[in-house]
Amino acid sequence: MKLSLQGVIPVPLREKVSVAKSGMWNTSVSFDKGEYIFVQAPSGTGKTTLIHILYGLRNDYTGEVKWQDKALAATDNEALASLRTKSVSVIFQDMRLFPELTAWENVDIKRRLTNTVTEAQANEWLDRLGLQTKKNSIGSTLSYGEQQRVAIVRALMQPFEWLLMDEPFSHLDHANAKKAIGLILEVVKKHNAGILLADLDENNYFPYTQTIIL
Amino acid sequence: MLKTLLMRSQHKSRLWAALLALCIGTTLLLLSVLIWWNFRELLYGKNQNDTLGSTFLIIGKRVTEQNMGVANATVFQQADIDSLKQAPQVQDVGVIASNHFPVYAMMGGKLPLATDLPLECVPDKFIDNMPDDWKWEPGSRTLPIIISSQFLDIYNYVFAPSQGLPQLSESSVKSIALNLKVGEGDSAEIFSAHVVGFSDRIGSVLAPQSFIDYGNKVHGKPGATATAGPSQLILKTKDPSDTKFADYIQRHDYATNSQNLRWSKIRAIVEVVTSATGILALLLMGIGTLVFILFIELTIAHAQHSLTLLLQVGYSPHYLSRFMIQRFLPLVFGTVAFSMIITIIAQVVTASVVKSQGLVLPLVPGWPVWAALFTSTAILAVLVTQSISGAIKKR
Repeated sequence: MKLSLQGVIPVPLREKVSVAKSGMWNTSVSFDKGEYIFVQAPSGTGKTTLIHILYGLRNDYTGEVKWQDKALAATDNEALASLRTKSVSVIFQDMRLFPELTAWENVDIKRRLTNTVTEAQANEWLDRLGLQTKKNSIGSTLSYGEQQRVAIVRALMQPFEWLLMDEPFSHLDHANAKKAIGLILEVVKKHNAGILLADLDENNYFPYTQTIIL
Repeated sequence: MLKTLLMRSQHKSRLWAALLALCIGTTLLLLSVLIWWNFRELLYGKNQNDTLGSTFLIIGKRVTEQNMGVANATVFQQADIDSLKQAPQVQDVGVIASNHFPVYAMMGGKLPLATDLPLECVPDKFIDNMPDDWKWEPGSRTLPIIISSQFLDIYNYVFAPSQGLPQLSESSVKSIALNLKVGEGDSAEIFSAHVVGFSDRIGSVLAPQSFIDYGNKVHGKPGATATAGPSQLILKTKDPSDTKFADYIQRHDYATNSQNLRWSKIRAIVEVVTSATGILALLLMGIGTLVFILFIELTIAHAQHSLTLLLQVGYSPHYLSRFMIQRFLPLVFGTVAFSMIITIIAQVVTASVVKSQGLVLPLVPGWPVWAALFTSTAILAVLVTQSISGAIKKR
């Protein structure tokens, strides 16, 4: 699935980028499936806004975002839901877990929706990220680091061609980040999917094919 | 899990209150349709309630200074009868045939009554209290007769006290044999007449049609049967208070009993009251539905955060709507079914109550009640579905 952006300018950033082009804003770029894209963006340049726009959570922008030649702005809610369960997955910066559900339920609610990952597999992935004792803990009682790991496993509970990540390891220590990267890379390869990771600083979490300064 | 996320704010007390409001509204609506339908059944139904449903009028041509003494001037011709059948509000026309032969009634024992007795007959379908043994065949010496219940009242409350005679109950009158001498001279015949019923509708003495036909043929005065038509007709009317009907009667100068018109007006008033009750019930049903819909929207509003997250995770609005609809529609169907059970019980009770009054109502509510049930259920289902879909789509 090809991702392309043409002259996209988020309304809140219009003042800043209407004249000057950046790596993503107000320019034409396209990425093919299987590419590993790193978007490096200092604070306030629209990193989270970019992820939200690509995931279809925001439509306050000019220009056009296309997933496989289909304009995202013209996609209705049902098609958007289909895109989010079959083609594009996301790890939010703020995790967005259900605070009233347990760690396992947060993962399982996504797993049941697509039914492409077995219960045993999901359990194993949680265990790999060191959450074996936290599966029955309520989301709101988990630490940020634990929440981030649950959010990572949840994002892998579906088939996808692109995995969007917004500072996915910001709350993880080096060891846990390494485990998470290993898991993500394994699953991404399995799906032959692409990655678009937005972060503040330069990193080598993944073997990026492109680095874009936002 | 979805239930935990979406229905957790569903306070049981609020849910019961919403269901109660819906149940009251639906029940009142169904009961009002039931009342309306029962009323129609009593008035116009095919059960044995014709006395209530239709007004029977006996009409004759008015005797005036001009037609007094003129032969056949107050007799109805076939054209008159055909015209009446087409008249507004007239459902049926029956000929009241009278005897054209002498009848002399004698009562023996402690009641030394003897009198000339005029007899009449009407088609059986116009008789209000049809006795089982209402039948006479030539050769039979026993004759069933029906007398006006007013006759018994006059005897019991006027004649008997003034003459020192015993008052008589209906059953004792039925046990008394009355000798009727029919015809004159050597050809006269004696019949043993028995009162088999009392009529509130016809104010004379009725004999079976076959007996009047036999008497007119065998003992009738020569020429009388051939020339004379009926001088009275009995009309079954839907609403004699209708001005078109009243105009018709007035235009043709027919004489009738205006008392019946009053009953018709009372009936019209009851119909208006029934309709007003229906409108009120409809309003209450609307309020009940509104309360229930607001409860649904409140539940969805409370689950707004979870809904937003579920949509972001990839749940489709259609999937979530269907999930909510599957939770709320059974509640609607259950409530409506409960209301219908109450309505059926009300009908069974009503039917048994009116039965003691000699009226007949079916034990099962009629099609208008079922139609109201299915229509209101369908409307409720559509409103609930649209309300849920609309509220989720807004998120």
